[in-house]
Amino acid sequence: MYGGGYIFDEPNKKQLREEEQHDEPEKLAAFEERIARGEKIESGDWMPAEYRRQLIRLIEQHAHSEVIGALPEGTWITRAPGFKRKLALIAKVQDEIGHGQLLYNAAETLGKSREAMINDLLSGKSKYSNVFNYPAETWADVAVIGFLIDAAAIVNQVANAKGSYGPYCRALERICYEESFHLKQGHDAFIELATGTLAQREMLQDALNRWWQPIMHFFGPPDKVSSHSEKLMQWKVKMASNDDMRNQFLDAYVPKIWELGLTLPDPALRKNEATGRWEYTDPDWDEFFRVINGGGPCNAERLQVRKWAEEHGRWVRQALMQPAERKAFPVA
Amino acid sequence: MSYNAALTDLIIKMADDELIQGHRNSEWTGLGPVMEEDIAFSSMAQDKIGHAWALYRILHENLEGKDPDTFAFHRPEKDFKCSHLVEMPNEEYGFSLMRHFLFDHAEAIRYESLLDSSFEPFRILSKKVKGELKYHTLHANAWITQLSQAGEDSYQRMQAALNNTVALAAGIFEASPEYEDTLVTERVYPGEAILYQRWLDRIYPILVKASLNLPDPKTITPAYGGRQGIHTPYLQPLLKEMGEVFNLDAEASW
Amino acid sequence: MSNESLDPRVNRLKLGEAGEVVKVAEGENWNIYEVFHQEKRGAHHEHVGCVHAPDSQLALVFAKEQFGRRKKCVNLWVVKSADILAFDVEDEDMFANNLEKTYRDASGFKVMEKINKFKQSK
Repeated sequence: MYGGGYIFDEPNKKQLREEEQHDEPEKLAAFEERIARGEKIESGDWMPAEYRRQLIRLIEQHAHSEVIGALPEGTWITRAPGFKRKLALIAKVQDEIGHGQLLYNAAETLGKSREAMINDLLSGKSKYSNVFNYPAETWADVAVIGFLIDAAAIVNQVANAKGSYGPYCRALERICYEESFHLKQGHDAFIELATGTLAQREMLQDALNRWWQPIMHFFGPPDKVSSHSEKLMQWKVKMASNDDMRNQFLDAYVPKIWELGLTLPDPALRKNEATGRWEYTDPDWDEFFRVINGGGPCNAERLQVRKWAEEHGRWVRQALMQPAERKAFPVA
Repeated sequence: MSYNAALTDLIIKMADDELIQGHRNSEWTGLGPVMEEDIAFSSMAQDKIGHAWALYRILHENLEGKDPDTFAFHRPEKDFKCSHLVEMPNEEYGFSLMRHFLFDHAEAIRYESLLDSSFEPFRILSKKVKGELKYHTLHANAWITQLSQAGEDSYQRMQAALNNTVALAAGIFEASPEYEDTLVTERVYPGEAILYQRWLDRIYPILVKASLNLPDPKTITPAYGGRQGIHTPYLQPLLKEMGEVFNLDAEASW
Repeated sequence: MSNESLDPRVNRLKLGEAGEVVKVAEGENWNIYEVFHQEKRGAHHEHVGCVHAPDSQLALVFAKEQFGRRKKCVNLWVVKSADILAFDVEDEDMFANNLEKTYRDASGFKVMEKINKFKQSK
């Protein structure tokens, strides 16, 4: 489902920075020209070590977000009300796993195996979108996630799909197509509750209140404090600034919430018609970093569930392993 | 009218099996042993639930049944007619695969027999689900044969899973004594005894290929009761969970 | 785990302790197969992605749901990624002059011009 604007970077990147110094300047210039011309980079192409590293980091975290993102909504898989919702929710969670599969494949073209990525997720070395460390407390949470978090993800992914790395763009093309189904079914469930009984509306309003801050966090810290952006934007790894994406999201979706007579828990939220930008109270960024570093309400459970799944699937995977075969990476 | 009552009984049995089996299998979505299999298994769970939905609709449209959502999500446990096999909670993946193998072959044989049923909605539905079931059994056969031939540990798990599920699966073919003759005479379907025999004939060669030992059918005591509304302790909590949101307000639209 | 999960499915699992080390062995996600789908009869099979699978039989079974569950598809191929032989990207220059070699192209032969010229000369 969701990359999110924020790419977590592990602190120790000194060594790779040094490697980058050995990148050949002529090749680097040709590479950068190519990107400037709008050409895609493919897996066999020469690329700076830092470009490769950043892309692996980005795509891998996006993949983890899909796989972990299956859990909050999965919370309601056995309880979805009625056939249509039940089938749509299973299909949606299934798509998240499918997206994870496509993204791990894209990252593998850069030379890191799926197993290595899974291990980095399980050990906590590699992160995923913060938003999935919050609990889905009621059925209305499923509607809010399906509508608004998927909407936020689409803003992010449509931008990334115009990036420079071919395999990632191709994966995103398919993902965006499926996300439009997610958004539609999320919006439908959202409207059903918003236009339903008083109890349903209250349930939805409560979910909206709880999810608003994580949604505002979704695109990452404000541009003024966000580091490592310039080079990534030149290389078309990062395609839009955090604030721009957040603004684009607010512009498209806040009116859709307000038109249903629902409120958002930020009295300062309004569009400045003069600048065209949305104004809002800064969400609590300390909380954002606290949750990224493991302090969220569901961080522990999410990883424990993933570990359970890997542990319990191990005998199936190992029974059919063929160790003699040469390991290859996807070609495209 | 006893013909309608007989038909209703058969449809509820089939639909409840599909719903509960699909529900159980959907619990694996996001938690499967490897991503590709997670996706495949989830699709098949959706198909089962979809088949149940289609059957409840037939009931609703042709036999004065309630609307499918209310019927599935708001019905007391004693009125469910699913077999005990589908009620069992998920254990390890080998159990789920074996249950899938046994159930899906039974399902495929049942729908094949409905291709020339005297009841038209059955003919239409069985034609529609034929391709899906072909994939389900292909998937099941591939897994069963591969895991049974992949070393001692894996083989033992699969044999244990077969031992634990075969009597439960035989319970799928529990006939309803008061209706069976009518359904057979009216050529709705060939009857449970014949389907059971066809099922044994179908799974036997695949199990042989997998080197798995099917117990002598004479020694199997099928787990009956489900068709009469007598269930394992696992069904009630499942139904409560499945209807939790729906029954917050069964009149509301969700 | 001490805390009850909101997910009843999770409460039925026996989760390990927080901080438990779980590692997946290299190769445990099997080999990689490239997947090609055919949208309709008569069309080419086109590359759509890949699946991890222990052998080609399961690769095909997996590909069916990962790449054939939504849009129109009538057939799939799978082939082991390792068996694909491709040119290096740097070898793109081998193809550079294709468009100049007009003798390979219908437009490179101006038949009508010659006929008209012949007719006019009569």
